Amino acid sequence: MRRILMFAAGLALVLASATAQATLVHYMSQHPLPRKVGGGFCYIDVSHVHDFGPSDPRMYRQIDGQYYFVGDPSPFNYEGPRSAYYGPHPIVEANVQFGHPEYCYLQGPHYHSYAPPPQASFEMRGGAYWYTGNYEPAYYDQRPRYATVNEAYAPMVYDRPVVDITVVPPGFHGEIVGGGPGWRATAVVGGPPPPVVQVGVGINMGGPPGGVIVEHDGGRHRGWERHDGWRGGPPQRGGWRGEPEHHGGGWRGAPPEQRGGWRGAPPQHANGGWRGAPPQQQANGGWRGAPPQQHGGGGGGAKPSHGGWKR
Amino acid sequence: MSVKRSSICGLVLLVAGAAAGACGKNKAGAPGGAAAPAHVAGTPHTDDVLDAWKSAGLKPEGFAALTPTPWVATYCEKGSVGGVDTTVCEYADDGALDRGQQQLKAEWERAGVHTGVAVRTKRTLLSAVDHQLSDPNGKTINKLVQAFRKL
Repeated sequence: MRRILMFAAGLALVLASATAQATLVHYMSQHPLPRKVGGGFCYIDVSHVHDFGPSDPRMYRQIDGQYYFVGDPSPFNYEGPRSAYYGPHPIVEANVQFGHPEYCYLQGPHYHSYAPPPQASFEMRGGAYWYTGNYEPAYYDQRPRYATVNEAYAPMVYDRPVVDITVVPPGFHGEIVGGGPGWRATAVVGGPPPPVVQVGVGINMGGPPGGVIVEHDGGRHRGWERHDGWRGGPPQRGGWRGEPEHHGGGWRGAPPEQRGGWRGAPPQHANGGWRGAPPQQQANGGWRGAPPQQHGGGGGGAKPSHGGWKR
Repeated sequence: MSVKRSSICGLVLLVAGAAAGACGKNKAGAPGGAAAPAHVAGTPHTDDVLDAWKSAGLKPEGFAALTPTPWVATYCEKGSVGGVDTTVCEYADDGALDRGQQQLKAEWERAGVHTGVAVRTKRTLLSAVDHQLSDPNGKTINKLVQAFRKL
C-alpha cells in the first residue's frame, strides 16, 4: 500500500511538472487570430510568441520553427495597409528575410499587407501588382505542398481586389482566372462589379476559347465568419505536414484534398518561367488554367480573349 | 486615548515616508545597502524609451528600477503600458544581452505567456508580455516595438 501511495505521489509530481511547461508557439509576422482567442488579426510584425497555434496551418510557412503568415489578411478584419496582387509571386515583405526564395501561391486577385519593393520584378497594372519575373525552381518544387492555401481560402467569401485583367503585363507568366471556389464577393475581373452573374473576359494563353462566368453574391460574407480555423486532418499528400490546428473554432468545411493542391505540369521551358498548366477536371480545388504555353515569349504575346477558368 | 492614536498615526506616517524616500533614492541611485544599478552608456536608456513611447501616444505607467536586475542586465525598469507588462533592460555587452534574452525566453516557456515579445535596440532589451489579454490584437505591443526600434 505504501509503495502504491509513493508511486502515485511520484506520478502526480511528474505530471505536474510536465503540465507546468507551457507550450509557446513562435510567429514571425502578423497573422490571423483563432476564434478561440477572439478572432481578428494580430498586428505584431516582429518575432513573438503566443500560447496558441495558427488557425489554419495552410496559410503559413514555417521558417526556423516560426510561423510566417503567407495569406491574404482581408477576411480577418484586417485594418492595416494592403496592396493588391494578381497570381502567384515571390514573397517580398521588406522586413522579413527567409534566406531563400519563398512564394505566395494564391491564385487570382488577393491582398497582402506589404507592397513589393521597387527593385522587385512587379508591375502595377489594372489595380494590382503582377509578378513579371521568372520563377526559381523552388517555386515548382514547393507548389504541390503550398498551393493548398487556395483550398484554405476557397470557402471564404470576402472582398478581393477588383483587377482589370485586360491590361495584363506581357511579362506575367501566371494565369488569369475569372473566379474560383468561394469567389462570390465583389472580386475579380475587369468590368463593372456586382451584377449577380457576369460574363467576364479571361486571358487565354493558348487554351480554347470560351466565356468565363463570374458569380457575385453582393459581398455577403460567408466562409470564415462561420468557420474559424482548421478542424480537419492535415492533407495526406502534398500539403501541410505539421501539426493540424489543435484548438477550437476550426474549419468545418470539407477536409483538405487528399491529392493536395497543385495538379499542374512542371515547368517545360528553361527560358522563361511558368506558363500555366493543362486544364483540370476536378470539381474541387486545383488548377483550372490554360494549357502549356508555347516556347518563348513568357506570355508576352497573350492577348485578352475568352477562356481561362470555367465553372 | 486620542493622543495615543495620533502618535501611532504619526509613527506610521514617519515609517511610510522613510520607506518612500528609500524607494525614491533606490531609483535615483543613492548609496545604501547594495550598490544601486546604474544606466549603461552607449545604448538607449529606459528614460529615452519611455519618452519615445509617450511621443508615440502611449502611456507608460508605474515604471521603477528593478533590484536585483533580472536576466543578467546591468539596469532594468519595469512597468506597464496599456495593461501590457513591460520591462526595459540595459546591458553592458552583447554577450550578456544574448544570455539575458535566452533566460527571458526560458522563463516564458516555464511560466507561460499569452503573448510575448522580446526585441533589442543596440544593447537595450524590451520585453513586453500580455498576461491578461489586455492587448488582444497586439496593436499596443506593436506600437511599443516600433517606437523602441527607432531609438
